[in-house]
Amino acid sequence: MAITVPGQPTTPPGPAIAAPPRRRRSNWRRNRAYFFGLSPVAILLAVFFVGPAAWAVWSSFTNRALLGPGAANPEFIGIDNYTRLFNDPDFGTVLLNSLVFVVGSAMIGQFLLGLLMALLLDFAEGRGYRLVPLVYGAVLLAWVNPAVIAGFLWTAMLDSSAGILNQGLGLIGVDPVQWLGVQPMLAVIVVNVWRGTAFTMLIFIGALRTVPSQIYEAARVDGAGPFRRFWDHTLPTLRQTAVLVLLSVTISTFGTFLVIQTLTNGGPGNQTEIIALFAYRTAFETYQIGYGSTISVVMLAINIVFAIAYLRISRPRTPQLESDA
Amino acid sequence: MSTSASPWRPRLPLPIRPGSADPRPTGATTAQASAAPGLPVEVAADVAVAPRTAARRRRGNRPRRSPVEWLLVHAAFALALLFFLSPFVWLLTAAFNARADYVLQWPSPWTLDNFRTVFTELDFSRYLRNSLIVSLSTMVLTTITVALAGYSLSRLDIRRKAWITYSILLLQTMPLSATMVPIYGLARELGLRNNYLGLILIHTAIELPFLVWMMKNFFDAVPRYLEEAAWIDGRSKFRAWFEILLPMARPGLAVAAGLSFLSAWSEVLMVLVLVDDPDLITVPFAFYRAARGSGSYQQVDYGIIAALGILYVIPVLIMFFATRRLMVRGLMNSTRGL
Repeated sequence: MAITVPGQPTTPPGPAIAAPPRRRRSNWRRNRAYFFGLSPVAILLAVFFVGPAAWAVWSSFTNRALLGPGAANPEFIGIDNYTRLFNDPDFGTVLLNSLVFVVGSAMIGQFLLGLLMALLLDFAEGRGYRLVPLVYGAVLLAWVNPAVIAGFLWTAMLDSSAGILNQGLGLIGVDPVQWLGVQPMLAVIVVNVWRGTAFTMLIFIGALRTVPSQIYEAARVDGAGPFRRFWDHTLPTLRQTAVLVLLSVTISTFGTFLVIQTLTNGGPGNQTEIIALFAYRTAFETYQIGYGSTISVVMLAINIVFAIAYLRISRPRTPQLESDA
Repeated sequence: MSTSASPWRPRLPLPIRPGSADPRPTGATTAQASAAPGLPVEVAADVAVAPRTAARRRRGNRPRRSPVEWLLVHAAFALALLFFLSPFVWLLTAAFNARADYVLQWPSPWTLDNFRTVFTELDFSRYLRNSLIVSLSTMVLTTITVALAGYSLSRLDIRRKAWITYSILLLQTMPLSATMVPIYGLARELGLRNNYLGLILIHTAIELPFLVWMMKNFFDAVPRYLEEAAWIDGRSKFRAWFEILLPMARPGLAVAAGLSFLSAWSEVLMVLVLVDDPDLITVPFAFYRAARGSGSYQQVDYGIIAALGILYVIPVLIMFFATRRLMVRGLMNSTRGL
């Protein structure tokens, strides 16, 4: 450990890792208060997350339904739901749509635009531009709307004849386009980016303020230009933040369907039907709870793969080891 | 010191790994130099103090701005404002138009009829009261439980702690469509349908995983000797947490409060599952009902929807601008230490 703090016994420096093995005997007494502090959260998570998830996994092996014979006595049908899902010709389309939606909306749109907005606002605030709070507020305004409002705003925005976008484009001589018919996926991606940018931006603004200024000073002394400083120092510092943001934006985008439901309801055809909407409609519009649970469980599995992949990328080599190395 | 004693983790050299084939030797050395000379980095970069002074300093010696830079920055601003604000033009025009449609129409004449309808026919004040009760209680409950759990998780000293932390994070990946049905059944069994308590508990639970994990990172950055000194003074663990550590985590608490309020304020799916008593309708639920024509085939009234939209957004904006500085300061630490 290179860092010492007054009042704290310091560990001897160097590779004296041969610290005595920690005593495990008084574990319970030491941690009792902490387990107690965790208990409210543990109870809430068990009741509202773990329990329902277990129920969903179990239901995915049954023919449970909201109506009909499956409602009273759901039967165990093994992996029939899963074979049905993987043989469903629509499932491939839905999966592909989800992939396009997540990559376009989360990984490219919200992430890049959020990062750019954060860099712009951070730079502009440091240079004393007056309009910063206005821009900041505009981004937040798009975020705080519920999905249903966003759907309505953008229906009006994208309407083929009288939509704001087409009227604006008409001013520069572009013919009206029926956006939701011609480019439905692009349209829902743009709307989702519009809503989701603020979260990424907020987190990145926070992270940018923690980039230690000593690094900049040192780099300036070394004669590094602004772009070099950004590339060499700002970006690496943001890496860990970026991984977290990507993870949470990917997962929330993967699970979002209210915007699409309001804007296109999966159409035209099933061009914008993503897996979350598919699961919701199967469970609540055709009342096949068992089959709907199957789709949700597959979603959960995909989410977990995403999460593990991201966590692997970001796994910190513990800084203690770094400074000891 | 054990490897799990992450409070001492230096903040600086996070992504820079000496020894790896890193083509940035200067970066590594500067980072190490600034972290090395025995400086109590955690204390120096105190959560509450440092950012403000840094901002002041930055504003103090404001660099000269060239016209090109001014032009570029304002062009970027204009693009951003255009993208983020233009959809709201519809909201503003439709809300004041008695015959609003889903397309853009200039109201003639401008009227407050829609707002009047919202308050007289839709009982908006009741929706607002329901929403405020649920969101504010959720906010308080979430902030307290999350602060307690984040601290406990940070100080917990057991072998597989990383597993607990990651499991909590993985819970966040649960799709709502998977849990809606079981939560309906569960809430019915526990008597949590059609009352405030059920709504408050479920909304608290939804945001817990991310926030617990965020607060853990916050408390990881607070040095242990502070609480240890308090214990020596004879305070209990709880009092040390409450009197010493909680005030230090104020920016983190602000983020937790803000995000949980916003999430509870805008959540509609769980309200849909838990409520069919018209007395308990919240603002977003009212919105959803108006948008879907109350489930019947009656005409959707776009003017009323727009008016509801405006009334819905105002409290959130007020809260955001009131806590903006605190939020940004809180978010500064929210993503450390994956």
